[in-house]
Amino acid sequence: MGQPEGVEYEPPAAAGADVFGGDHEVGRDLAAVDWAATALGAPAGWPQSLRTAVSILLSSRFPMWMAWGEDLTFFCNAAYRRVTLGRKYPWALGRRASEVWAEIWDDIGPRIGTVLATGRATWDEALLLFVERSGYPEESYHTFSYSPLRDDDGLVVGMLCVVSEETERVIGERRMATLRDLGSDPSAVRTEEETLAFATRRFAQNPYDLPFVLTYLAQPDGSARLAAATGLPAGHPAAPVLLPPGGPAGGWPSAYAARAESELVALDGHAFADLPTFGRPAAPTHALVVPLLRRGDVPAGFLVAALNRYRAPDESYRGFVELAAGHVAAGIAGARSYRAQQRRADELAELDRAKTAFFSNVSHEFRTPLTLIMGPLDELRTRLSDADPRTREELDVIHRNGLRLGRLVNTLLDFSRIEAGRMQASFEPVELAAATAELASVFRSAVDRAGLAFTMDCPPLADPVHIDRGMWEKIVLNLLSNALKFTFDGSIGVSVHREDDHAVVTITDTGTGVPATELPRLFERFHRIENARSRSDEGSGIGLALVHELVRAHGGTITARSREGEGTAFTIRLPFGTAHLPPDAVAPAPAAPTRPSTAADPYLEEALRRLPRTEAAAPAPSTDMPDGAASPGGRSAQPPARILVADDNADMREYLGRLLSDPGYRVRTVADGLTALAAIRADAPDLVVSDVMMPGLDGLQLVAALRADPRTAAVPVVLLSARAGQEASIEGLDAGADDYLVKPFTAAELLARVRTTIDMTRLRNRHMQWRTALVDSLQDGFFVCDEHGDVIEINAAFTAILGHGPENLPYRHPQPWWPERTTDPEAHRLVADALAELVGREHGSCTIPVTHRDGHQVWVAATFNRVQEPESGRRVVVGTVRDVTAERHAARRAAALASFGLRLAEAVSLPDALTAAMAELRRLWRAGTVLAVLFPSHGAPVLTSTDPDQDWDRLPAEQREAFTALRTHPALSPVTDRADGIGIVLEHPGGPLVLWIGRQEQRPFGEPDRLLLSQLAGRLTQGLVRAHQIDQQRETALTLQRAILGPSHLPEGFAVRYEPATRPLEVGGDWYDVVALPDGRTGIVVGDCVGRGLTAATVMGQLRSACRALLLQDTSPARVLAAMDRFAADIPGAMCTTVFCAVLDPADGSLTYSSAGHPPGILTHGDGTTVLLQDGRALPLAVRTGEDRPEARCTMPPRSTLLLYTDGLVERRRRPLSEGIDRAGAALREGRALPVDELAARVMADLASDGGYDDDVAILLHRHPAPLEVVFRAESGQLAPVRDRLRGWLNRCGLPTPTVQNVLVAAGEACANAIEHGHRDAPGARVRLYATVTAVELQLTVTDTGNWKIPGHRDDTDRGRGVALMNALMQKVTITPGSTGTTVDMQLRIVR
Amino acid sequence: MTTALVLTPGHGPDGSPVLRAVGEIDLDNAHELAAAIDRTPESDPPLTIDLSAVEYLDSAGLTVLFARADRIRLVTSRLLNPLLAVSGLARIVTVHNVDDPPDTCG
Repeated sequence: MGQPEGVEYEPPAAAGADVFGGDHEVGRDLAAVDWAATALGAPAGWPQSLRTAVSILLSSRFPMWMAWGEDLTFFCNAAYRRVTLGRKYPWALGRRASEVWAEIWDDIGPRIGTVLATGRATWDEALLLFVERSGYPEESYHTFSYSPLRDDDGLVVGMLCVVSEETERVIGERRMATLRDLGSDPSAVRTEEETLAFATRRFAQNPYDLPFVLTYLAQPDGSARLAAATGLPAGHPAAPVLLPPGGPAGGWPSAYAARAESELVALDGHAFADLPTFGRPAAPTHALVVPLLRRGDVPAGFLVAALNRYRAPDESYRGFVELAAGHVAAGIAGARSYRAQQRRADELAELDRAKTAFFSNVSHEFRTPLTLIMGPLDELRTRLSDADPRTREELDVIHRNGLRLGRLVNTLLDFSRIEAGRMQASFEPVELAAATAELASVFRSAVDRAGLAFTMDCPPLADPVHIDRGMWEKIVLNLLSNALKFTFDGSIGVSVHREDDHAVVTITDTGTGVPATELPRLFERFHRIENARSRSDEGSGIGLALVHELVRAHGGTITARSREGEGTAFTIRLPFGTAHLPPDAVAPAPAAPTRPSTAADPYLEEALRRLPRTEAAAPAPSTDMPDGAASPGGRSAQPPARILVADDNADMREYLGRLLSDPGYRVRTVADGLTALAAIRADAPDLVVSDVMMPGLDGLQLVAALRADPRTAAVPVVLLSARAGQEASIEGLDAGADDYLVKPFTAAELLARVRTTIDMTRLRNRHMQWRTALVDSLQDGFFVCDEHGDVIEINAAFTAILGHGPENLPYRHPQPWWPERTTDPEAHRLVADALAELVGREHGSCTIPVTHRDGHQVWVAATFNRVQEPESGRRVVVGTVRDVTAERHAARRAAALASFGLRLAEAVSLPDALTAAMAELRRLWRAGTVLAVLFPSHGAPVLTSTDPDQDWDRLPAEQREAFTALRTHPALSPVTDRADGIGIVLEHPGGPLVLWIGRQEQRPFGEPDRLLLSQLAGRLTQGLVRAHQIDQQRETALTLQRAILGPSHLPEGFAVRYEPATRPLEVGGDWYDVVALPDGRTGIVVGDCVGRGLTAATVMGQLRSACRALLLQDTSPARVLAAMDRFAADIPGAMCTTVFCAVLDPADGSLTYSSAGHPPGILTHGDGTTVLLQDGRALPLAVRTGEDRPEARCTMPPRSTLLLYTDGLVERRRRPLSEGIDRAGAALREGRALPVDELAARVMADLASDGGYDDDVAILLHRHPAPLEVVFRAESGQLAPVRDRLRGWLNRCGLPTPTVQNVLVAAGEACANAIEHGHRDAPGARVRLYATVTAVELQLTVTDTGNWKIPGHRDDTDRGRGVALMNALMQKVTITPGSTGTTVDMQLRIVR
Repeated sequence: MTTALVLTPGHGPDGSPVLRAVGEIDLDNAHELAAAIDRTPESDPPLTIDLSAVEYLDSAGLTVLFARADRIRLVTSRLLNPLLAVSGLARIVTVHNVDDPPDTCG
């Protein structure tokens, strides 16, 4: 035994142990076994058969084990040890197999028993076995075959198992499928419930890796609620519906949600005593609890995944569960963010609605016409002051009701402010008793006049109370007005005093009171107490509701006590201090005490008018305007309004200036439109009062110019014109004026309009401020886009996301953040597509890439609504944008991993896997070229490229060096230090592999890319290993298939082809066979078993052997097939096999055949006539047994060709079979002049579709007659018998007698030459004559071992004469002398 | 095994010598033909070799006939005609074809 030098080698442990030399390590351990103690005894005494088996076993690199002898003593090789045996090594060596594999002996024992009893091999594919090789029962999958081992006497004494461990593949594919399904949620957005239901359904499909899964969502109170469960019935103790905050109470600690790491938990509590087993021998013992985390977010909850107890909770398993949980977490986060976004959109819509209602209902519908009523009415009352009493009375009624309507409008206004949160209060410290007494005193005269007593008890309070003066006035006046309205005798009282830390204001009356049933609804809006006796039927039912709201705005309370017929008491309690008030609404004490405003007047006026008219009320026209605002300049807290007056008439200008200055406005006058425009642009006033008729720029043009400029578009304008009539005013309002006055107008009218407009504007501005604050407070970016597509407003979040601030507004279309076509065409296209999709829609959303101001790409989810702007009526687009870059990256990574996994899973070979992966990488990074360089341990680096023209030698030397340097870089860690691409190293089964992703565009390669690339490279490494295994398995399987599908040596005249289907390992059940029968005839069989794969292949092997054996016994094809029926009935999977069985007599070409459901044979005559052998047909095998089968006969004419095939050759999807058969016939006809072997190749090529064959294909061709081969000793006495045989063959070729004679002479001359030379140089040497025929040509070859001297001109010698004869009688003669002999080739075309 | 060839000397109707060959003539037995011809004394009219029952004649046989062309006549069948024509023997030896009509006998 040879021993390599320098290699350590231990001497064999026992005599005869050299049998273990096939493997160094396992062999050593085998040698160490105390064999003498086993049933086999010492190796020295082993039979040769055992020694051979062991040595084959050890030298094989395919995982194998074997058992031998009565104890089935266990042996295995190194590959088996590594892949399958685990911790059982080396303990298992030399033990009984039943002991080694005790835990699966129930599964494998009977199989081994079958092998030993029958001598037949078994086959199992991916069989599930629970083996204990790692310290626990482990779910494992094995594809293996047990085959018998025989001893020196041929008895079966053991068995050999060739096994391929498939655990990783089966489980990996199962998990991959779950992850892929989880990631393949087809709907875009769903609710949390739908997301969970979707994930749960996916989990339920994989009960092996996820026996049960519970999803708990965290609740605000620290508890957790079971949101989804699979695997456990509802109400199972292991799945409590609610987990209380804090500790574990019969379930899972709700605090898991707050952890950042997953945790392995043993299922050993009481709650887990009764878990289902999920189709496995025993219930799960552990669960992994994974927090549902989103980066930058608190965990949404946690997921409990029970673990398969038969798989180790290793990194891969945990990784799988965590990835699954990640999917759930991402889904929940997505659903929640969608919901939040929905809510924000609703808020915006609500705001819009309130605004629209406010402007359209209140301002336009009430205030404007009211102003137009009250102005002329004042004029009328002045002019008709001495008209008849009835007229004046009616005018007073109109006036009174106008005032009332105005107050109502103001109240509604206050409400809408409060409701929209727009009531801007300013709370200042006030001595409440004095302020209230002062307000109340305004009512004293009215109370007196009503004949009621008025008691005031308002001693000063020690501490100030913070109130908004305007609001407080409304509170007190409303309550007093109310008291007066319902009190007919008795008194009205006001008191202010302190109770603990509250100031208490009480207003009492002795009026009609409120029924007890009505009391609870007293402060409800629009609730009126029916049938209550009052001084007036007027009443909106809104006054007390407003009071209630205003008191609440002060952080106080109001209560009412009442008894019907006795009176009512309202009690207001206001806290001292400012803690209850919004800090930004607290104002310092005013410098000087303020007088009660004129706001009381309408109340008083109204109250007075309700009283019996004892004396004439003195109206105050200038303050009678329905607007209840305080000073003309607006609220006391605001500076006086600034008004610009433009009029070309100096008198008018002066009059207007004086008129407007009196109430406190700051007035500036200009004489024409252009000056006005310049002045306004320089410093916009609060109001513009402009004449319409002006030189240069008239009033209408001025308005148009102001409105056209965004800076001045909001400045309110009141137009004055001498033109009367509705058309003129419409023209003015159309131009964008806020109001329109026709000269002549009264001073009161003008002031009223001015005040109204200013108030409206301020209100609008406040509203705008509030809106801006709201918009800026949004977490999402907000924008408004006008009808030209220009962005005219953005908020702070928008700036934060995109980097573009409000200073550059408006952003004209196209905005700077849209990706440019030239630098980022892909993103540009995405955006263009998304925007095109949204054109014309009222609302919508999209997720698009945009460019941040600093150049990096940001993915945003944008939503928009098309709305009408209430003020202008313009159609604008409001929308929000949310930065979803991180989610996008995560989703992209998940999608990339899934699609990458899919591509790898589809790969059918190692190069295929690599190419697919590279194409995917190129797509993902939009790379120019992706290269892979393999550095094998021997030989030059091998380059694979997405660019087919590249190879290693053609790469620039610099690049070659760079790649070579990369190979030593740590695996799976991206190398990004080069500008032209990114590299990463991974382990390829053939050595280190450098992947290079060439950059096409300057996209930053960020952290997400790094992470993704290393994950992908990891997947690729696994994928390559898997593909490598597939390659090996396929090679094994194909070798096996080729070995059993047909005879290795075919008789002359036959040609066969077999083509497996292209998918990995998809070998089939097709076979062919040619059997030499004892009577000189030839049996021909082509068959096709149902199915694919090794299962079909094994069935096929049995059928083939059976058919061959039957033919040798009985040469009737029909009887052979009938016997096959019976045989096939006993073999699982053999049913429906189709077979074409024929027996050919080579002497006369007569053919007997029978077909079991097989496609017809095709026979093409020498002249091209083609016939189908479609008689003798019956059902496929074993469909019906015990019935006779038909048989047909035909004759193969000379030079005809027979084609038998399986249906894979002619079957095409959606095409009739006859079409394929016709094509096969045509191929046969056209190729009939070819030698039969070439013809076989031609038929296969002609009928293959683009991608090869879908199914496996076997064909068998025979040409009659078969070629003639005669080998004879180089003696002249041999010439006559050789001639005899040749003559017979030529006759079978169907040639005319003169031709036969010519060929005989020519061949005879060649043979005679060979004999002369052969005889001369090497007596007894052999000469070979070989003759073949096609449909149109005859070919003869005579080969000898001699060396001719070709005679020159001397043709009178008989040899020279012979060559001349050959040339004369045949069409082409070639004599090729060689060092080992001479070959004569002769051809003759057959003419008919 | 040798090739079956039967050579029978005799006389024609005109009394001239006739050698009748039956079987096949090839390299293996051409020398028998040569010997049989050479055994026949020269005569006038010359020796007629009747090959009409010869099924095969190769270049060895032809060589025997060529060497004795000046003192033989041949009777052949259609089977051998092409060979005699191709080899040129028909040009230098009188050939009578048994398959031809009798009036062309000469």
